[in-house]
Amino acid sequence: MRAAAKGLAVTGVLVFTLFPVYLMIVTALNGEANAGSRTLWPDEWTLDNFAYVVTEGGFGRYLTNSLTVALATVLAGALLALLAAVAVARFRFRFRTSVLVMVLIIQMVPVEALVIPLFIQARTMAMLDTLAGLVVVYLAFSLPFAIWTLRGFVAAVPVELEEAAYLDGASWGRMFRSVLLPLVAPGLVATSVFSFIVAWNEFIFALTFMSDDQNYTVAVGLRRFFGQHATDWGAVMAASTLITIPVMVFFVIAQKRLTDGLVAGAVKG
Amino acid sequence: MTVAERTDVDLGVAPPAPRRPCRRAGAARPWLLLAPALLVMGGLLLYPLLRVLALSLQDFGLRELVSGRTKWVGFDNYAELLGNADLWATVLPNTVVFAVVAVALTVVFGTLVALLLARLTPLVRGLVTTAIMVAWAMPAVTGTYVWVFVFTPGDGIAVQALDALGLLDAATANPFSNRLSFYAVAALNVVHHGFPFVALTVLAGLLTIPRELTEAAIVDGAGPWRRFWSLTFPMLRPVFAVVTVLSTIWDFKVFTQIYLMPGGDGVNRNVLTLGTWSYVESFAQNRYGLGAAIAVLLTALLLVVTVAYLRLLFRDEEL
Repeated sequence: MRAAAKGLAVTGVLVFTLFPVYLMIVTALNGEANAGSRTLWPDEWTLDNFAYVVTEGGFGRYLTNSLTVALATVLAGALLALLAAVAVARFRFRFRTSVLVMVLIIQMVPVEALVIPLFIQARTMAMLDTLAGLVVVYLAFSLPFAIWTLRGFVAAVPVELEEAAYLDGASWGRMFRSVLLPLVAPGLVATSVFSFIVAWNEFIFALTFMSDDQNYTVAVGLRRFFGQHATDWGAVMAASTLITIPVMVFFVIAQKRLTDGLVAGAVKG
Repeated sequence: MTVAERTDVDLGVAPPAPRRPCRRAGAARPWLLLAPALLVMGGLLLYPLLRVLALSLQDFGLRELVSGRTKWVGFDNYAELLGNADLWATVLPNTVVFAVVAVALTVVFGTLVALLLARLTPLVRGLVTTAIMVAWAMPAVTGTYVWVFVFTPGDGIAVQALDALGLLDAATANPFSNRLSFYAVAALNVVHHGFPFVALTVLAGLLTIPRELTEAAIVDGAGPWRRFWSLTFPMLRPVFAVVTVLSTIWDFKVFTQIYLMPGGDGVNRNVLTLGTWSYVESFAQNRYGLGAAIAVLLTALLLVVTVAYLRLLFRDEEL
């Protein structure tokens, strides 16, 4: 491939990937006079939109709710997924393949099929309008992928290291903590980022389960800036920027581990 | 190769006797480790799936929701669903054609980007990879709002640009009212959000192919097209299978991106998908039974796709 063609292709990819992000941030920083106007370069720059969504838009509350739900999902998910990944990567047992196939198949279940029965269930259990109700649902959503990915990381740890620990007289629990855990830590980072994003971005369940606007998460809270006839695009984009930036920072930090994990999950086992 | 074999041979220690009780504990251990995850997934993914199947055979409305009574109606919901002309003329084509096109675009574009990335210097590759990560990290909700903003009738940037090119009249055109343009915007959104996964996964696979193989192919006179189909594709078959399966599953059940577009929440019945239709019937009309039947149809479709791909994926491979 010639250098010029390569440069052109790289530019194209950069523009396509970054354009929505650029437009989001620029619109968020657009001065009030221009709020909602469609321009690639505003005449007047301001932080007013951010100040508005955080102070008057009630968005601070939604950020706290989302953060609580996401962190709880990540912590519980990492623990459960690691235990399950060790089971499928390290032990040969009856129905092992069935468990793996089930983990893979479960990812295909559409949320639309789950939201109806879980809404009815949550209603009878008085779990509607609670953050805990969302946490358990998001935990279930993030587990299959986390198990599948961690499986590759656990399998990549040489069995010889574990044997050596046994020979040195370490118990299984000791081996787990001192040998396995440090080596699969990158995998845990990758799956934690993934679980965080599942919980942070989820929309349907948050929309269906939460009726009191005090309990909204960020994804649902954004809707308050859409009026019946007009949309406060400056506020929407400022709030969107606040939602998106933390996720992007996470992603970029974890990128190497995330992609390695995907490949490990895909080809090892 | 078992653990015992190796230690015996290599080190001459670890007599088999004390391992015995250990091994019996070992039979239960994987299940103990799996138990918490299986309980959560069983209770929140599998059980609701059975429940939705049961609901699809009931007349379940607001009254049943409040009282908790059940009213079985057999296959009435399915009869109504399959007898609905909208299903065949609108909803099913919207769902299936959109998914097929979106998957094809996502996988082809993602693979092309991966092949490009593999040819870049590490510095430029790192830069582009970061940009791609940023697109991937953009939440579906905010991504959708930005694309809606871009295509807003009248003064959206894309609408203005298309007007300037003479392709439409910004004063009258509404990209969201027409079925085809609605889904064109949706496809743009879904590809933007979905191609990074394909690109980065395929790239990671490409980097595992030994250089010597590629060089040998070049020496043998194979062009890029030939090299891709004779070398890269066969070697990365599992990777391609996984990205295609997952993209298919994701694109078939795209919900948020459609629901949040103007008219996508059921207002414009021309752009309904199985997913949004099921949701609207349930939560806007309080017809949970019919909504469940639609959801079951969608799940059945996905199950067929998933099983077909799983067979492809694990045809000659042990899990």
